[in-house]
Amino acid sequence: MNDLRNLLWIEQRKALRSRMVLWTLLASMLAPFGVGFLIWVSKNPEISQKLGLVGAKANLVALAGVDWASYASLFGQVIGAGGFFLAIFVISWLFGREFSDGTLKDLLAVPVPRSLILLAKFIVMAVWSALLTLAIFAAGMLVGVLLKLPGGTLNALLHGAAITAAAGLMVILVVMPFALFASMGRGYLLPIALALVALLFANLVLVLGRGEFYPWAIPMIYAEGKTPLPPASYVIVLLTGLLGWFATDYWWHHADQSR
Amino acid sequence: MPLSIETTDLGKSYGAVRAVEHLSLRVAEGEIYAFLGLNGAGKTTTIRMLLGMIKPTTGHATVLGTRVRLGSRQPWSEVGYLVEIPHSYPELTVRENLEVARRLHPGTEPAAVDRIIERLGLAAYADRRSGQLSQGNAQRLGLARSLLHNPRLLFLDEPANGLDPAGIVEIRELLLELTRQRGVTVFMSSHILAEVARLAGRVGIIHEGRLLRELNIDELERERRRRLVLRVRDTGAARQALLGAGQSVQLLPDGALELANASSIERPDEINRLLAQAAVPPVYLAVEEEDLEQYFLRLVGMDGAGGEALR
Repeated sequence: MNDLRNLLWIEQRKALRSRMVLWTLLASMLAPFGVGFLIWVSKNPEISQKLGLVGAKANLVALAGVDWASYASLFGQVIGAGGFFLAIFVISWLFGREFSDGTLKDLLAVPVPRSLILLAKFIVMAVWSALLTLAIFAAGMLVGVLLKLPGGTLNALLHGAAITAAAGLMVILVVMPFALFASMGRGYLLPIALALVALLFANLVLVLGRGEFYPWAIPMIYAEGKTPLPPASYVIVLLTGLLGWFATDYWWHHADQSR
Repeated sequence: MPLSIETTDLGKSYGAVRAVEHLSLRVAEGEIYAFLGLNGAGKTTTIRMLLGMIKPTTGHATVLGTRVRLGSRQPWSEVGYLVEIPHSYPELTVRENLEVARRLHPGTEPAAVDRIIERLGLAAYADRRSGQLSQGNAQRLGLARSLLHNPRLLFLDEPANGLDPAGIVEIRELLLELTRQRGVTVFMSSHILAEVARLAGRVGIIHEGRLLRELNIDELERERRRRLVLRVRDTGAARQALLGAGQSVQLLPDGALELANASSIERPDEINRLLAQAAVPPVYLAVEEEDLEQYFLRLVGMDGAGGEALR
């Protein structure tokens, strides 16, 4: 336990000192303020004309009718797609930086188990991603208040919060295999490239109507709430997380580390 | 004498490339063992195998009585190491980097961080981000990290890298003190032979993945070749005179003459007299000892053996 506490201290210190937490937080704010801006423009057509947003008029009209219930639920979708990329960035940095900065070797011949080093990294990744989810939702709610959206009830808020939290948890699980890709690719490039491929493929399986069995589409389908997910989808998400963790652990124990 | 490091037929191949092969080493407790080799000779691969970072394709290694296995926890609480370039977390200060190392070695007291900062002369940089350190201070930080938890065995890959001459002397004295006063074993790799000669008790010479020679430092001194080098104004006449006296002479690329037989090295005055009698007195005459670099290059067959044999 003491070892894990020490390792968590190490990981949080590296993260907080790197300013990466700040950058990801700033990036995450794009979503609530971006969505808020669009709703504001849609409610004020004269601004939309001034800005020359005529082409986007149809979409903006749809946004004009947004109430608290649909607005709060929207953040689940934001987490399912945008949050996925932020989490990929977080996990790629946590694992890949040890390789690209050449610091990995100092984690290898030490009297603490490598599994515990990895566990500390996964915990920090989960907490970091959860905090970003919370920040996105909280900022979104603030924007909602500023926009004076209609139909604000506690129920609508709690429902939106629950969907966002569940989507956030799913995202944390489905990005775990990318720790292995960061390790195998010995840096950031491979996990980020594979995340793009995973998202492109997600669009394909969504078109084919089989997204509920594809781990990187499930959080999006869940957050949209249009089609109910079969229990197998939740199992797939959980297994993806566990598989990512165990595979990363196996690789760290068995692969040659010559850098 | 108990052994700190023992390897049996240790080898590592990458496909058809044999990085290290048939390496059997014995390093006794408390000795400074230098692993000498050119770049790419297999020094770092060996150190990484000894540290459980690379899995050998043949043989095995035992470190401090524990069989080394990839990813194992033992015996690293008593081992310190500095492998290749000493990287650190650039966003953390020197003190924080050492605090990270301390927490990776449970049981190391917090005061050890300040102690090692002081010992390695890093006090002025303790609160500076390590990404802003000079190469020499980054090397000091790497050494501090390897020594922080008072290890019994140190693996140091090119420890003098990046240090200025004063730093090299300082680290040399520190390592000698650790071995003499605390019985620490040092396994160091280097390609700087003069540094090795001042520090190591025993030397292993590795070339193209194979251990060519293993010898004590005094044996190394004895094996260095000596020769008599002389310069004259008329090389042709001098050569004739020496050949006439039954000497074996070699003309060096710079125009000097070299005599390598024991009699001429023992009696340079005789050679001087002989040349003076032949009216070609030497303008330069000296018994030169092969320096360590030349010895090393001769041993690995890269001495370029310049010179034209005259007999």
